[in-house]
Amino acid sequence: MSRNSSQAAGRRARNKETTRSRIVAAALALFQVKGFDATTTKAIARKARVAEGTVFNYFPTKEDIALHFLEQEVEHAMATVRANKRLRKAPIEEKLFALVQTQLEFLAPHERFIGAAFVHALTPGSKLGIFSPSAQELQFRYLAFVQELVDDAVRRGQLSAASWWTPHVFWIYYLGILLYWLHDPSPGKQQTLAFLDRSLKIGVAVLRQR
Amino acid sequence: MSATKRPSGSARPLASAAAGLTGNVVGDMLQRLFHSTSATGRALRLAGLTAGVTGSYVGYMAQRMFLGVEGRDTKRRATHAKTGHRIRDELQLLRGPVMKVGQALSLHTDLVPEEMLAELTKLQMEAPGMHPSLALAQFRASVGRSPEQVFKRFDAEPFAAASLGQVHRAVMRDGTCAAVKIQYPGIRAAIESDFRWIRNVTLPAQASGHLPKAALDEMESQIVAETDYVREADHIEFFRTSLKPLDFVVVPDVYRDCSTDRVLTMSVVAGQHLDAFLAKHPSQRLRDIVGSRLLELFYFQVLILKVLHADPHWGNYLFNDDGTIGLVDFGCVKQLGSEFIGRLRKSFLYPGRTDSPDFRRIVQEQFGSPGKKLSSVSQRAVADFAERFYRKVYPPDLKDADRAFDFSDPGFLRDFLRAAGKLARAKGSTTEYIFLVRAEIGLYTTLHRLKARVHTSAIVRRLLAESRKEDGSS
Repeated sequence: MSRNSSQAAGRRARNKETTRSRIVAAALALFQVKGFDATTTKAIARKARVAEGTVFNYFPTKEDIALHFLEQEVEHAMATVRANKRLRKAPIEEKLFALVQTQLEFLAPHERFIGAAFVHALTPGSKLGIFSPSAQELQFRYLAFVQELVDDAVRRGQLSAASWWTPHVFWIYYLGILLYWLHDPSPGKQQTLAFLDRSLKIGVAVLRQR
Repeated sequence: MSATKRPSGSARPLASAAAGLTGNVVGDMLQRLFHSTSATGRALRLAGLTAGVTGSYVGYMAQRMFLGVEGRDTKRRATHAKTGHRIRDELQLLRGPVMKVGQALSLHTDLVPEEMLAELTKLQMEAPGMHPSLALAQFRASVGRSPEQVFKRFDAEPFAAASLGQVHRAVMRDGTCAAVKIQYPGIRAAIESDFRWIRNVTLPAQASGHLPKAALDEMESQIVAETDYVREADHIEFFRTSLKPLDFVVVPDVYRDCSTDRVLTMSVVAGQHLDAFLAKHPSQRLRDIVGSRLLELFYFQVLILKVLHADPHWGNYLFNDDGTIGLVDFGCVKQLGSEFIGRLRKSFLYPGRTDSPDFRRIVQEQFGSPGKKLSSVSQRAVADFAERFYRKVYPPDLKDADRAFDFSDPGFLRDFLRAAGKLARAKGSTTEYIFLVRAEIGLYTTLHRLKARVHTSAIVRRLLAESRKEDGSS
């Protein structure tokens, strides 16, 4: 492949990514203002200044846009925890706290949409639901990271070896935290911060003793 | 939380709040009635967690151990130390008003065995706080920016604990060193929720008058007010201006731009906490100077400013080798009414006999309510307090004016607590008085630990005269 054609391919990829980001940003803004259900693909296309067909090319359904956003959220949280040098030596409860808190801070500007997505996920056949292959793929990637943190804590003697099942329980715990966060009316989501901190401390204390 | 557990758990705050506030009989009885194991305590703590509150009744239960049968009967030193350690852990985990109760308790040096005291003293200085990730999250949630965006440098690890949060070192953009106090999240809601419980379950004690509703209101409004750092910033600025006449007192400066109701950024105040100061074996002269200044600072606030920086715990003072005193933590500040101070002026250093009709009239004015005669038990309790404590520590006779009171004598502290308890049981307290006593316990405990010799009467006499002059009264 010539240098010119590889440059062109790179440019095309960058343009594609820019368009994708524009569509997602437009959709999220509309989800937050109008609500997930009331937002049409046509409105998303108009706001993103692309043709409606282009939106379908990138995301066949609105749920795919939501999934893409959730994927970004998980990737961002995992990358943030990985990149934080100070966290490397921190106890497992702090690492898990940082992971969930980073996710919540990422979600915070889109709270209304997250509430709607949560309800959507409970609808049978939804792409956001726990049995949808794409949602499961994301879930497994997330849990693999939690497993990594747990394994590291076991190696460091912070948790007992019998804690292997923790990631699965952690997934349910995370969904509970998300629900708590959505319903938390306190300024700066104070109650969620306290609940997250104290429940993780107690959870880890239980795992340590097993 | 299970429905079956709630009633027994709910009785504990009643028992301890009642006993903690006024040392009354109902509290004692309830303490004996609701005896429970630590396993129950742990269950209750978990139950409290589900509600997102501090679940402080376990702490009250822990407090009961100091005052109840177990605490009195178990003499073995090892048990005391172990219990103290466990209680400290419980209190540290729970936070909120319980922590305050724990701190207040650790000032009762005669009630608490020495080994437990050592553990509880750590509570004042070494409360485990939020891990850096939580502290940073709380800062971002409150200020709206991250510490890296606000400061030139910020230490994610705290350097000191405050009962409702923790303090971090930072460097401002202009290079000035700052202390950033960050509050533990959700603490205000937890305190309000705790008090709703306490109010409900103390209805009988309130009805009997053993736990005055006014005292509960006072306690709640004070503790809740402490969670508002904007108010605390106002207090700091007030004291910074008002305490200027006392050139030995150092008050921090507030940086409003990076402060909110949950984050307080202020300049760093130099000095050491009492333990560190004493560990360097300061000379008797220095201890006398610092002790005299503490007493002057106390009565300058009471008599001249009529406002008291009054968290009764020595962690709020910083001592320096040049005798200067740094003040930190302005959460607990009490306004004292002019009438209250006027009456205090009449009874303080009262030269006559405490069983005279004149003194009885002053006591009636000071502790009675208008149109209602103070009971003879209350009258006697006040006279007894004046006779057994105040006259010893603050001799009213001018011929004793040059005599310094030696606070190293442990007897005076015991007398004070005994007389204060007796007065509380006689229902002779007013809310302002309860507050003053709470602050006095802190003052006297600190003076006792300093083993200071102070010209108490001379200092008070001078301030009384100044106070009268300022108010234009005789």
